Amino acid sequence: MPCVAAFLVPGLPHPMLKPDNLPWGQLASAYQRAGRAMSAARPDTIIVYSTQWLAVLDELWQTRPHLKGQHVDENWYEFGDLPFDMTIDTELAHACITATRAIGVTSKPVNYDGFPIDTGTIVADHFLNEGSAPLVLCSNNIYHDWAKTVGLGRVAAETAEQLGRRYALVGVGGLSGAMFREAIAIRDDRIHDPEADRWNRTVLDLIERGDVAGLKRVLPDYQKQAKPDMGLKHLAFLLGGLKENFFGARVHGYGPVWGSGAAVVEFRL
Amino acid sequence: MANGEIIAGFLAPHPPHLVYGENPPQNEPRSEGGWEPLRWAYERARKSLDELRPDVLLVHSPHWMTHVGHHFLGVRHLSGKSVDPIFPNLFRYNFELTVDVELAEACCAEAGKAGLTAKMMRNPNFRVDYGTITTLHMMRPQWDIPIVGISANNSPYYLNTEEGMEEMDLLGKATRRAIEATGRRAVLLASNTLCHLHFHEEPAIPEDMSREHPENYEGYKWDMRIIDLLRKGQTREVFRLLPQFVEEAFAEIKSGAFTWMFAAMGYPEIPGELHGYGTVIGTGNAVMEWNLVKAGLAGRGAASGYRPAPAYAGASY
Repeated sequence: MPCVAAFLVPGLPHPMLKPDNLPWGQLASAYQRAGRAMSAARPDTIIVYSTQWLAVLDELWQTRPHLKGQHVDENWYEFGDLPFDMTIDTELAHACITATRAIGVTSKPVNYDGFPIDTGTIVADHFLNEGSAPLVLCSNNIYHDWAKTVGLGRVAAETAEQLGRRYALVGVGGLSGAMFREAIAIRDDRIHDPEADRWNRTVLDLIERGDVAGLKRVLPDYQKQAKPDMGLKHLAFLLGGLKENFFGARVHGYGPVWGSGAAVVEFRL
Repeated sequence: MANGEIIAGFLAPHPPHLVYGENPPQNEPRSEGGWEPLRWAYERARKSLDELRPDVLLVHSPHWMTHVGHHFLGVRHLSGKSVDPIFPNLFRYNFELTVDVELAEACCAEAGKAGLTAKMMRNPNFRVDYGTITTLHMMRPQWDIPIVGISANNSPYYLNTEEGMEEMDLLGKATRRAIEATGRRAVLLASNTLCHLHFHEEPAIPEDMSREHPENYEGYKWDMRIIDLLRKGQTREVFRLLPQFVEEAFAEIKSGAFTWMFAAMGYPEIPGELHGYGTVIGTGNAVMEWNLVKAGLAGRGAASGYRPAPAYAGASY
């Protein structure tokens, strides 16, 4: 079974927690459009890679069958709590754990009551998973480079195909990383600086046109100049899962979250 | 006028393995022990803390990392289960703590006056980070002393080490002023490891000490050099070397707790007492104490403990 949908989405909680603030509300609306597209695609399972689920020793995969709770973001707690209620595709998660050995990655299951689910995963699930499809959640090992993350995405996708899943891929993370380091008038939120904005738009344009070669060409400079979230590894995961095969993309929305760049992108498959 | 004072500072690292090795009732996983020399080091620190009888413990933790300024826990009672996302197999700890909100607010206000962005955390559902919990448990497992929890603003990483340490210097001095103004007898806890180079795999039995050793020889030598200088009271030299230590040993000192603590204490050139050193998955960890009462810098009849900041800490406040 093929990939039925793929999205690159932001992981900060502001669109979810305070959509009445216009800049964030516009991102929330974009997220909702993407959510409708996800529903229309009817995936059996949604594979999520979030830059905010950090791992150090191994690659981690959530294998607790049901996760329910309330999370408070360590930075953005003033905007409220983040409830979550998720079902995990444990069969696929375990299969991925075994499969990653083939690319030299040691994986481990995570099945603990109270394990901290990251903000990005919760936000993505909130907006994109109206149908409550089971999820596969995998971590961002900070020592995995771009190539290894591409490999991880590919393995996750291939494993899903082997199990006959209609699967969707979601890469959760931000674009340019510069943030305002003080209080701001939130209604006036904007991309931190014109150069970061220019870079974000360049990358989004390349994604929209499906220009993978162009993306690879600009990525080193983008990473250096705009310091995107975790070097944009969430895109690496998607490219690996898609085997770089996509016809283009639709940017449902692009805007700031406290100065950092955020975009909701739906890949055309 | 209230005459609060800082009576001691401790370098009090937070590897969750130490809690795991101790098997306290609050922690769900069970172990056969492990990391005994470091845990015994903490026993010595606990004894000293018991004798000091502080009103409050202030802890600066790298695992509450904040983008917009320096944050302070501002809810009187916080509880929950702290699960380490890196070592959930070792640390799932049911905590309950009391915050000295008045002092936290005073620290926040002083930090603001010093030009720092500072915030109070008022969400009652906030889950306290595992670094704070581990340090506090290892120092005071009775949990009977109120605390102030302080975030690690990411300035050393977002900007650079030197600029970040300037902020931590200002934060430390602001902390001191708040303590003095509120009349507290305070102990500071810098929740930092030294060399942070570590293994990338965990042994099948985490507490198998035959697998525990420094990950990196150069990192170990750096740790010994810094500890030796601290034991000799050569504080200024330590801070001169700090950026290089951070760069070459990947020292967690970079996150700022160590600088915050020393700035608050006034960079005293007094010997630090080494309670013990050990590695945890290869990282270097020292439990050290600067007892300002014994040094005559705090307590009744103490001389002023203030010393000027090291040259690199260029803040003029």
